[in-house]
Amino acid sequence: MPSEEELVARCLAGDPEAWNDLVRTYSRYVFAICSQGYRLQGADAEDAFQDVFVRVYGRLDTLRNAEALRPWIAQMTRRVCLDRIAAGKREEPSDVEPLGLEATLEELDEAFAVREAMAELSEECREILDRFFCRDESYRTIGEELGLPAGTIASRISRCLARLRQRLEA
Amino acid sequence: MSSQPPDPTRGAGYAAGRTAAAAARLVADVARASSETWPDARGVVAQANALADRLEVLAEANADVFAAALVALADPSADLAQHMQRAAALPLEIAEASSDVASLAVVVADRCDGLVRADAAGAAALAAGAASASAHLVRANLTVKPDDPRLQQALRAADDARYSASRAFEAGV
Repeated sequence: MPSEEELVARCLAGDPEAWNDLVRTYSRYVFAICSQGYRLQGADAEDAFQDVFVRVYGRLDTLRNAEALRPWIAQMTRRVCLDRIAAGKREEPSDVEPLGLEATLEELDEAFAVREAMAELSEECREILDRFFCRDESYRTIGEELGLPAGTIASRISRCLARLRQRLEA
Repeated sequence: MSSQPPDPTRGAGYAAGRTAAAAARLVADVARASSETWPDARGVVAQANALADRLEVLAEANADVFAAALVALADPSADLAQHMQRAAALPLEIAEASSDVASLAVVVADRCDGLVRADAAGAAALAAGAASASAHLVRANLTVKPDDPRLQQALRAADDARYSASRAFEAGV
């Protein structure tokens, strides 16, 4: 995964592939804020999602600190969601945010950080952590699928978690 | 002491799942207590808690499926076979997750502070009991024949868990 600074620089230089990378990197994050944070559903969530990336495309040159790309996108997403909610109610734009929003956004930020850190791990670590924590596979199944002794899986998971923690703390 | 009668529809699968979940929390506690001297302990805590969460969900799901199977047994119009298939799948998952708890307890018993080693061994024994009970439920299911791969899988999980418990008892000796 490219660094935020690198990604922003490539986008501003007009590299079309960089825009694809930016959308790919942040699409789930933006959609999660729309759907989980603001409870936007179906077409509303999709429209808000499109609006966010249109605004990002049009305003990226106003971003002062490329390292703050993610919070900048998050802030823009929040504004777009509030506008859409207000538009649905035929009211003036509102700053009243849903209950529990901050906690949801914190969880999403944490999930995003874990995802970024996971991307820096080896293929084997990504695979083993995904199988145990996301797919609920047993040690025996993981061992059989990856051709590893079942008795070593728990220790491998611990080592991969230690590497993940190092990346998160870096 | 509670005067509530036990709920007969929750069954042994639920009890096995809850028991193994409690064993997993114990494994997490023992590993956490040893984290100052054992660098991998935090990773073991995370795995033990994940197994406990998984087993708690499986226990609840098993109670629901078991209750539905009991209703179907009394209702001639119900699709009994489908209910019984579901009722075999969950104890198998509980047996495998319980076996993993026992296996993790061995890792902890080998590396933990000696003062809490007996707790790790106790957790392995509890998990092995849960795996055996769950394997028995798979065997007792009306749709499972002796050569059914699900039964072989459940029995192997129970055997592995018993072996893990015996190793945990020997740890530090």
